[in-house]
Amino acid sequence: MTTNLPPLQHTVSPVDSTLSQPLSPAEQRVVRRGERLSRRRLYTRRFLRNRGAVAGLVILILLVLFAVAGPLLTSYSYTDVDFTNLTAAPSSQHWFGTNGVGNDTFAQTVHGLQRSLIIGVVVSLLTTLIAAFVGAVAAYLGGTAEKAILGVVHFLLVVPSFLLLGLISQKAGGDWKVLILVLVMIGWTYGARVVYSLCTSLREREYVQAARFMGVGSLRIVLRHLVPNIGSLLIVSFTLGVVTTVQMETGLSFIGFGVKQPDVSLGSLLGDGANTITSAPWLFYFPATMLTLLTVSMALIGDGLRDALDPMSHSAGRA
Amino acid sequence: MGAALVLRYLLRKSLGWLLMIVVATNLTYFVANFFLDPRANYLQLRPPRTPEQISRSLAQYNLSRDTPLLDRWWHWVSGIVLHWDWGYSPVGESVNSQISFRIGVSAQLVMGSLILSTLIGISLAVYTAARQYRFADRFAQGVSIVTLNTPVVVASLAVVLLAIAFNQSVGSTVLFVAGAQSPTVSGFWPLLLDRVRHLILPTISLTVISYAGTHLLQRSLLLDNINSDYVRLARAKGLTRQRAIRRHALRTSLIPVAITVAFAIPALFTGAVITETIFAWQGMGQYFVQTISKNDVHGAVAVAAFGALMTAIGAILADIAVVALDPRVRVS
Amino acid sequence: MTRSETGPATGPLLSVRNLAVSFPSEAGRVDAVRGVDFDLFPGRTLAIVGESGSGKSVTAMAVMGLLPEYASVTGSITLSSRQLLGLDDRQMSQVRGRNLGMIFQDPLSSLTPIFSVGQQIVEALEIHQNMDHDVAWKRAVELLDLVGIPHAAERARSFPHEFSGGMRQRVVIAIAMANDPQIIIADEPTTALDVTVQAQILDVLRLSQTETGAALIMITHDLGVVAGIADEVLVMYAGRPVERAPVDDLFTRPLMPYTIGLLGAVPRVDVAQRRPLVPIQGNPPLLVDLPPGCPFQPRCPVSVPRCGDREPDLAVVPDAVGGHSVACIRAHEIRYDGRNSCIDGRPVYPVPPVPDVPGARVPREQRPAVLQLTGVSKTFPLLKGAILKRRVGSVYAVSNVDLDIREGETLGLVGESGCGKTSTLLEIMNLRPPQHGSIRIAGVDVAQLRGRDTERQLRRKLQMVFQDPMGALDPRMTVFDILAEPLQAVGEADRAAIAARVDELMDLVGLNPEHSDRFPTAFSGGQRQRIAIARALATNPSLVVLDEPVSALDVSIQAGVINLLNELKAKLGLSYLFVAHDLSVVRHISDRVAVMYLGRIVEIGAVDEVFGGPQHPYTQALLSAIPVPDPMVERTRERIVLRGELPSPTDAGPGCRFVSRCPLYLTLDVAQQARCTGETPELTGRGDRDQQNACHFR
Repeated sequence: MTTNLPPLQHTVSPVDSTLSQPLSPAEQRVVRRGERLSRRRLYTRRFLRNRGAVAGLVILILLVLFAVAGPLLTSYSYTDVDFTNLTAAPSSQHWFGTNGVGNDTFAQTVHGLQRSLIIGVVVSLLTTLIAAFVGAVAAYLGGTAEKAILGVVHFLLVVPSFLLLGLISQKAGGDWKVLILVLVMIGWTYGARVVYSLCTSLREREYVQAARFMGVGSLRIVLRHLVPNIGSLLIVSFTLGVVTTVQMETGLSFIGFGVKQPDVSLGSLLGDGANTITSAPWLFYFPATMLTLLTVSMALIGDGLRDALDPMSHSAGRA
Repeated sequence: MGAALVLRYLLRKSLGWLLMIVVATNLTYFVANFFLDPRANYLQLRPPRTPEQISRSLAQYNLSRDTPLLDRWWHWVSGIVLHWDWGYSPVGESVNSQISFRIGVSAQLVMGSLILSTLIGISLAVYTAARQYRFADRFAQGVSIVTLNTPVVVASLAVVLLAIAFNQSVGSTVLFVAGAQSPTVSGFWPLLLDRVRHLILPTISLTVISYAGTHLLQRSLLLDNINSDYVRLARAKGLTRQRAIRRHALRTSLIPVAITVAFAIPALFTGAVITETIFAWQGMGQYFVQTISKNDVHGAVAVAAFGALMTAIGAILADIAVVALDPRVRVS
Repeated sequence: MTRSETGPATGPLLSVRNLAVSFPSEAGRVDAVRGVDFDLFPGRTLAIVGESGSGKSVTAMAVMGLLPEYASVTGSITLSSRQLLGLDDRQMSQVRGRNLGMIFQDPLSSLTPIFSVGQQIVEALEIHQNMDHDVAWKRAVELLDLVGIPHAAERARSFPHEFSGGMRQRVVIAIAMANDPQIIIADEPTTALDVTVQAQILDVLRLSQTETGAALIMITHDLGVVAGIADEVLVMYAGRPVERAPVDDLFTRPLMPYTIGLLGAVPRVDVAQRRPLVPIQGNPPLLVDLPPGCPFQPRCPVSVPRCGDREPDLAVVPDAVGGHSVACIRAHEIRYDGRNSCIDGRPVYPVPPVPDVPGARVPREQRPAVLQLTGVSKTFPLLKGAILKRRVGSVYAVSNVDLDIREGETLGLVGESGCGKTSTLLEIMNLRPPQHGSIRIAGVDVAQLRGRDTERQLRRKLQMVFQDPMGALDPRMTVFDILAEPLQAVGEADRAAIAARVDELMDLVGLNPEHSDRFPTAFSGGQRQRIAIARALATNPSLVVLDEPVSALDVSIQAGVINLLNELKAKLGLSYLFVAHDLSVVRHISDRVAVMYLGRIVEIGAVDEVFGGPQHPYTQALLSAIPVPDPMVERTRERIVLRGELPSPTDAGPGCRFVSRCPLYLTLDVAQQARCTGETPELTGRGDRDQQNACHFR
């Protein structure tokens, strides 16, 4: 992958844990004891107990606010050029300084953050949905459909996806919408495999078997029994998918295959900043901080969600 | 399963991969021809060339659009099959020589950090898993989550900044931030020292971003195993907790980690793009960027073939790791 | 090893005093063990009995020092007057394995998969004894031989996955006895095994005890096992011992109402009488913030207001011999009248009335068959190799099975794991034509099924209850949705009709209809199984297939579910196909029984005929392997312990599949033996009895 990602870095928790949710005995007691603590409240409570996850959530909310409200705070737009201030250090006029052409770094960072957020969220959402659908269908239908889908997925592992990524986005000239399309095209395969293997074990569950023996139809089984039971996995993989996508986008834009002038993303800003890292370090510092905060906060949230939604998790054990 | 059976199995598996590589590579040839137009390289030249001149220049490298695509493909394929000749760039550099030189550069970069990050990741996992939820564990996990999710660009540039600060404080350039070697050094020991001084920074930055994956994976596998029945039995025999973890839990949970590491090797070779770009190493990753931006069809396809080959090698290495480590597969 | 640290011969080897263990949890502190006292004397066997969550395993773990770090443990555990509690891991590791050996429940996961079994025994030896590696290896082979592993010298080099469950448990026992420990603690050592293997393992345990002279702590929920092996019994409830007595006293003269209830709730394989079991009402308490008073009070049929004042101590019964203690303030009022334990002249547990089965009066032949299997066979390809899968043969999971179930009848299908019970059941449930033979359900041949509608109509008549009540209920659906699902599946769309039916079903299985908006997790195991039964009844089926429906439940809960099934059958005229490995339960619930071995039915007939006078050597061995919860019976009866374990059914050749383990075969002459191996026996029987078996010589 273009971004130096070890391929399995966000290994989604092993098959059994996030599937059905047999609560630990202690929690069953909570439920049985009158006031019926609902599932959602239980998850919320577990999530909120995870300090890292809460910190991540707070940071993410601040980042989103910054991305939305940022343009209102400055009179410059990200394309405006201030010829009187070229490569100027941060000042009261240009809070984050300016670059060699005279663009306001604050405005550019805000815009880049918006861009990276949109790309991350949209790509991760689409890949998760596609992966869930393809994976579940392959697992449930079995037979030829299963073989065909798995064949495609395996083949895509060999086809050097990074090369396609480079070729297509190079050709597209830095249009972020094309970039989204390409990232989605390449991103769904791994998720589909995970969903597929989860669903193959789910379809052997006794309640699925029970439904089949009752005469419940296939589509209904997929919708009522399979999909809801991989829901928590999908939420987690969506969150971590945002991290992966933002990293990919950054990497691509950095080496010049992603978002290009006049549009900017955090990655392309970093690409510019890297060249002047000693002479104008602010061009590196501000986008780098935003980007790191974004990926780390998302990862913390994802980890927190995984622990909160995972019934086997012991992270809550030391109450 | 006997050794002969394993060999036969690996052979069959390798043939399957080979087929996939051949198909993928040929597919990439057509895709690359669609997306990359080598004529662009000549358009900027001064004095301007006529289309005929350009076509003639390109024709000698089998890149002319005037030759039908299928003919060019046939020429390209037979070159590889008959002479192991992977073609030329639009300006006439041989792909073979580029790749053979760059693989060595990449290997230097990748191997050190692979070994380091695996060792660090596993030892950290053993240390922290035995202290689950204590401060050391939470702290190490927090650091790992941050480094794992810090964008590569940021991590590498941060290493560069730190190194520059270090060099400045020492007063001389101890650590080089660019290139694989200095052009003027000679003699064995000076050369070795020079290599090491170039190697340190990129190795550190690659290790920083990749050790955490191994750490977190090995830690969670270990935790699963620490609570397993057989570790409990090992303790019931009279092993202390620490020894039971190291002897029983670790050995068993190394299997999936070994598989993951085996799979990661190819990704590292082609994936160190950003590190190579930042530290100006002429490795495979940087070649990949260069071929695309310079419309080098043959180079790009060769990179693709190399990537596919690496994926296959990773998968086969993973299989070998399983057979070597897991008696449940070995004997049956 | 010398036994100098054993102390005076009369003193206890292990003394546990006021042991308490608690764990932190989401709901508050769980007091898993709340004050356990016992002494263990050299060479004796103490059984600790209790249902899940009673604290028996936690007690064992506390003695071994293997509880997780976050557990808080107080009290005192002294081994030969050395205090074990408070020792750190390093000091405790000197004691574990040398003085204390332990055997765990699940042999399949107890051994490290990547070391050979020899290595694992050698490790146990080398930790505690300064032994040469070769000597240790030789000793390991001896130990393997001792616990009954054939070809021990070669098998020592094999890895755990190459052994069956019973063989692995033997290896675990060999490890436990490797250093001649003073005490062996066995935590449910046979629960995961089949009965014939259980009998072998219990023998090996007795052997290991005589070899090492060790005292044994046997932790189990199975009162039959207790009756056979224990000298003294400690009954635990809600984290505390509630009764302690020598084994004969406990079984003949139980004084704690809980113990009385447990003994009454166990179905017995040796008793023909078909009276309902006596369930204990309610569920064990949660061990979080227990109210004061006797924890059994809410379930106790003879509780009085005084029981709620304070928790009674475990006190010695004044007139008893041999140290019988009980924790009940009314224990002195309880008398045994020869049939029941009584209080004020009435049984502690009122015996429920026998349900009346109307159909039973019509002779069997005149009732219509709801299920008929004729010559049904099923084979699977046998694949070998973990990464290199090749077909190396076939597994004959079901071979030429004939059976029928009449209206209002229960057929028990029994056999050990791998005998083909589940495959037979799946063949029926799939509603697909079998590979060979035919299946008729409610008179319809499944091969004749055309289209979804006719299949749906047939599904109405045929429902199933699974073994694990948790796994069979979708955790993300409310009980209402779960019960509505089969109705919707057969085309019921009227919301009001469904709601009415759901209420009716909840009522039918003894649950409060108002609770149908809850999720399955809010219910206890027994209640979940009731929900699963309600779901099976939703469409008014004529045949319900029950796959081990009570094996995941505790004894006191199991009795209630069995009674419910019997009641429902009487009330609704249902037929059951009851698949189980527990023959006692089968005897209790079935009208007829079929015994399977390697895919074939070896004996079939009326339940009292088969259990009372088993003919096939396998049936005889199977029945004799089942421990009976009566120490007198256990001591005197003769057991047929089968050699070896269930082979896999890969042999397609003719002949009886039981020959490899058959005790009768060994007594036959050559010509007769040739018949056993050369000719497949058919089911034959005498005309005057409903009993057939597939043995040439019976």
